[in-house]
Amino acid sequence: MAHTPRVGDPALALDLPTLGGGRVALTDLRGRPVLVSFLRHAG
Amino acid sequence: MKVRQRWERWEALGAAAVFVVFDAPELLQRTMFDDIEVASLPFAVAVDRERVSYGAWGLRRARHRDIWLDPNVYRTYWRLLRAGDRLLPGGSDVLQLGGDFLVDARGSIAYARPQERDDRPAVGELLAAAKRAAG
Repeated sequence: MAHTPRVGDPALALDLPTLGGGRVALTDLRGRPVLVSFLRHAG
Repeated sequence: MKVRQRWERWEALGAAAVFVVFDAPELLQRTMFDDIEVASLPFAVAVDRERVSYGAWGLRRARHRDIWLDPNVYRTYWRLLRAGDRLLPGGSDVLQLGGDFLVDARGSIAYARPQERDDRPAVGELLAAAKRAAG
């Protein structure tokens, strides 16, 4: 298990398919604040 | 997904959002997004079925007692039921924990709150972090 990133650390890579059928990469959103929210289970 | 209800405040900060989920898209569509056209959302919903990114970002699975012995879990269910929400079947892993991170414009972590149990920060706390990150 990796360590959770801390304040000041560089953000880890994130490049995933989206529910809508596209892809999203954190690097594509560089230049603006980005909330990355990992959700728990559906339901 | 309370962020959606206050999205205009995120937009005013020039912020983006990515919500990462791991359950099957069919289940998500029936539960989290049952009244929503996903394509119309102003933010991305990313699917990580293998939970590779959860592991990479250090998000662990809870112990059973962290979830089922936590009175807040039952308070939350009670509050939702009183508000008229339905109880839905749980997803593929009810023990997987999530977390919230704010990445600033330079790509650094400006806020980090991995879950220790079934808790989440208030939207206001996330907005305040976004405001600081927007500088």
